[in-house]
Amino acid sequence: MSAPAMNGDDMSFKILQPALEHGLAARVGRLVAANRTPLDTPTFVGVTSRGAIPHLTPDVISQHTDIRAAYMALEDFTEKSSKRKSPAIFSLPKDDCRPLHAYTATPSSTYTILGPRRTPAVVAPNGNGPKHISVLTSTGFERLTCENYCAAIEQIMPDIVVPPADLTFSSATPGAKRQVFMVQRTQQWLDEFFSHLDPEKKLKPSGIQVFAPLLPLSYPIQWKYLKHLSEEHAERLNGLTLYDAKILHDLKNHPQLLDLPRLSMESPETPQQILRQVRLGVDIFASPLVNTVSDAGIALHFSFPPPAAGSSGIQPLGIDMSSEEHQVSVTPFMEGCGCYACTKHHRAYLQHLMNAREMLGWTLLQIHNHHVMDEFFRQIRLAIADGTFEQKAGEFNRCYESELPLGTGVRPRARGYHFKPEPGQPKINKAPWNRFEGEGTPEQVAAAEAAGLAVTGPAAGGSETPLVPDVDAAALVREGFAKVDEV
Amino acid sequence: MAATIASQSSAALTFDLVARCSVTRARASYLTLPHGPVQLPMFMPVATQASLKGLTPEQLEETGCRLCLNNTYHLGLKPGQEVLAAIGGAHKLQGWQHNILTDSGGFQMVSLLKLANITEEGVRFLSPHDGTPMLLTPEHSISLQNTIGSDIMMQLDDVLVTTSPDAARMREAMLRSVRWLDRCIAAHKNPETQNLFCIIQGGLDLEMRRECCKEMVARDTPGIAIGGLSGGEAKADYCQVVATCTELLPELKPRYVMGIGYPEDLVVSVALGADMFDCVWPTRTARFGNAVTKYGVLNIKNSKFGVDFGPIEEGCGCICCRKGDGGLGITRAFVHHNIAKETVSAHLLTLHNVWYQLNLMREARDAIIADRYPAFIRQFFANLYPNKADYPAWATGALRGVGVDLLEGET
Repeated sequence: MSAPAMNGDDMSFKILQPALEHGLAARVGRLVAANRTPLDTPTFVGVTSRGAIPHLTPDVISQHTDIRAAYMALEDFTEKSSKRKSPAIFSLPKDDCRPLHAYTATPSSTYTILGPRRTPAVVAPNGNGPKHISVLTSTGFERLTCENYCAAIEQIMPDIVVPPADLTFSSATPGAKRQVFMVQRTQQWLDEFFSHLDPEKKLKPSGIQVFAPLLPLSYPIQWKYLKHLSEEHAERLNGLTLYDAKILHDLKNHPQLLDLPRLSMESPETPQQILRQVRLGVDIFASPLVNTVSDAGIALHFSFPPPAAGSSGIQPLGIDMSSEEHQVSVTPFMEGCGCYACTKHHRAYLQHLMNAREMLGWTLLQIHNHHVMDEFFRQIRLAIADGTFEQKAGEFNRCYESELPLGTGVRPRARGYHFKPEPGQPKINKAPWNRFEGEGTPEQVAAAEAAGLAVTGPAAGGSETPLVPDVDAAALVREGFAKVDEV
Repeated sequence: MAATIASQSSAALTFDLVARCSVTRARASYLTLPHGPVQLPMFMPVATQASLKGLTPEQLEETGCRLCLNNTYHLGLKPGQEVLAAIGGAHKLQGWQHNILTDSGGFQMVSLLKLANITEEGVRFLSPHDGTPMLLTPEHSISLQNTIGSDIMMQLDDVLVTTSPDAARMREAMLRSVRWLDRCIAAHKNPETQNLFCIIQGGLDLEMRRECCKEMVARDTPGIAIGGLSGGEAKADYCQVVATCTELLPELKPRYVMGIGYPEDLVVSVALGADMFDCVWPTRTARFGNAVTKYGVLNIKNSKFGVDFGPIEEGCGCICCRKGDGGLGITRAFVHHNIAKETVSAHLLTLHNVWYQLNLMREARDAIIADRYPAFIRQFFANLYPNKADYPAWATGALRGVGVDLLEGET
C-alpha cells in the first residue's frame, strides 16, 4: 500500500503529442504519480458503484482488466445509520495506507478519483442550496456542504478530487437565472474549497490532485469563472473536470488552463460520441457507458480503426448476448479479442448465463467490454500520435451503426441509488417468477426481501434458483427431459 | 504424496486408500476421475446452473476445488439437452477442466414440482407450462447425464423425506430405487468415461438401510452414495444411518453423503467413515451476508462489522483474507458496505466460504494421514463452542460411538 505522505511534485501531466491547433484538437498525454501506474491519455477510467466496479472482484480486476483508475462518489460512502455517528469510512486508521484505497480494497497501483456524486447522478428533487449540494445515499437524500466535503477528502485521501459544482443533472437546460446562480455558487465553493484545503499545507503533502469543475453552460455565462480560475487558482489546479466538452472550444482564451488534463464526466452513449470528445481534447473519460452496456447484456463489438472496408455493410457496435442465436455458438464474443472472456469462454456459455440469470454473465461482459474499450483508447492514442486520428475516426463513423443495440435480457437487480426514479417509469425488470402452484406470492417475496433474504442475484424469496420449466411439453420431450405420459 | 495402502479401479475411476484413522472410521484417499485426481475427504460446492454463483472457473479453481456439482434438472431445462449435445457437454459449456458430479434430477423434480408423483415407470408430473401429463424415467435421467458428460452421475432414485411415517411406502421407495439402479446401469452409454453411483435409501430404518446396502453393493457401482438425508431428520438419527451404512460398505469405494454441508456435520460424518459431501448452504448463506469461520458463522450484515477493518477471518488463507501473496486485503467493513447492494460482496463471501469448506476437509485429511483426527475433532469443537456444555449432544453421541469422547479430558 502507498504511504500517505507524498511529495506533490511527484505528480505531473505531460502532453506527449500536443494538439494541432492549441486547445482544439485531440492530444496524447501521460498522467504520472508516485506508486501509481501511469495513465496514458486519452483513456477511460472504471466507474464504481459503492466503491466496487460492478460485478468485478478485485482479483478479477487485476487479472483480467487493465483498469488503472477508478471513479468513486462520496455519496456512496456516507449513508446515515442509527448505529453509527459518522460513516464507517471515516473511522479507518490513516497509518498504513490511504483510507479510500484501503476501504475499497483498491490496489495501490490504481488511481482513485473522488467526486461528490455518482455518475450518472440521480436528480435531487430539492436541488442544491447556496451552501450545499444534495447527494443521494442508500438511505436517502442529504445535504453536503463544501466544508464537509473537504473534511471527507482530508480524511479518506483520494488521489484526484473533483470540487463541488452546482449542477442539476437534469436533461432540461436550467433557466437563465439558475445558470447565473450555478456559476456564482461553483466559483464561491471553489474559493471555499481551497480555503479549507490549503494546497501547500494539505493537498500537496497528501498527494491529492484537484480537477476543478467547468460547468455545462455556454462560454458567455461562465467566462468570468474561467477567468477567475486562471487568474486566482491556475497554480493550484492539477486538472479540469468537464460536464460538457463543448467548453473546450473557448479554453484558448485561458492559456494557463490549456495544459491541464481534462476529465470528462459526461455520459457518452456511443464510441462515436467518445471520438467526438477526443477530437475536442478530452483526456480522461469517467463514463458509465461500459457498466450500462454490460448490464444490458451487450458485448461490445467494435475496433479502432474499423476492419478493412469491403465487409458486409454497416456493422453493429455490440451484440445482444441474450439472443437465442448464440445458443450453440462456441465462438468468442468478438473474433480476435484477447480478453479472458473471449479466450476462455464462448457465446453459448454467455447466452446460457444470461438466460439462466447467473451473475457470472455480467462479470464476463464487464471483462470483455472493459477490454474492448481499452483497445479502443490504445488505438486512439496511436492514431493521434501518428497523425491518422481524423482519417480513422471518419472510417469508424462510416463503418458502424450510430447506436448500440438494446439488450433483450434481464438486467441485474437495481437499487434506488442506481437509477433515476421518475414517476410512471416502467420497472427495468419484470418480477422474478414464483414457485409453481402459488407458493411465494408477491407479498411473501416482498416480505422476504424486506427481511433481507433475497440478496443480490437472481434468486428471489430467499430460495436457491427457483425454477420450474417455462417451456411447453413439446420442448421437454425434444430436450429429452421427459416424455408425454400416455397412461 | 502419501503412500497407498490399497487401491481398486473400475473403468473410469481409481480409489487409492492412503490412511485410516486408528480410532474413528475416518479415512484419507485419492480418487482419480476422468478429469483428474481429487483428495478425499472433500466438500463439493454446487454450481447449479453451470456457474458457481458469480465466480469464474479460475476463481473456483483457486479455492482448491477440483470437483463441483451441476444439477441435471436445471441443465436439462437450460440450456437443454440439444444445446449440451451440440456444445459437447457441461465441461465445454462452462470452461471447467476439472471434474463434475451431477445429481439425477429426481430430487429437484419432486421438491420443486408440487404435482410430481412417483410410479414404477418414473416421476409423473404436469407440465407447469401447459398442464400436459409428463413422465421422467431413469432412462431420461441417464441420457441427460450422459449428454452432460459428468465424471460422476447419480442414479435416479425414489426419494422420500426420511421422517415419513409410512414404513410400507418407505420400503417400496427403497426397493424401487434398487430396480431403478438396474435400469440406470442398463441405460448408461459411457461406462468407460463416466461413473454411475448408486444411492442407498431406506429412511431412518436401519434394517431397511442394511438391506439396501446389500442390494446396492451387489451391483458393484464404482462409488456409493447415502441418500435421502438432510431432510429435517434429527441429527442423531442422521448419524446412525451414516454409521450403519459405512459399516457395511466396501472399504475401497468412495462414499458420498448427499446434501450435507454444515461444518460440524462434515467433521462428524468423516469420523463415521464418509468421504464426499455437497451442499448449497455455504454459497447460499454467502449471498445472505454470512461468513463461515472456524469460530462459527458471522452475519457480516450486523452493523458492528461496518467499522471492523480486519479480514473476514483472521488467519484464513483464502484470497480475500490472506495477507500478501496476491491477497486482496478485503475487510469485513467493505463486505458489510456492499452486502445486498453490489454483487461483489456476495462474490467475495462466496470465495471465502467455499475456501473454508474445502480447507476444512484438507485439514481433516492431513490430520487423518498424521493419525491425529481425534485431536482435530476436539480442536474443531473447542473453536466453535468455548464451553463444553454447549457441545451438541448428537455430535458427542455419534463421536462416542466411534471412540472419541469430546467431553472427557483436556481439549
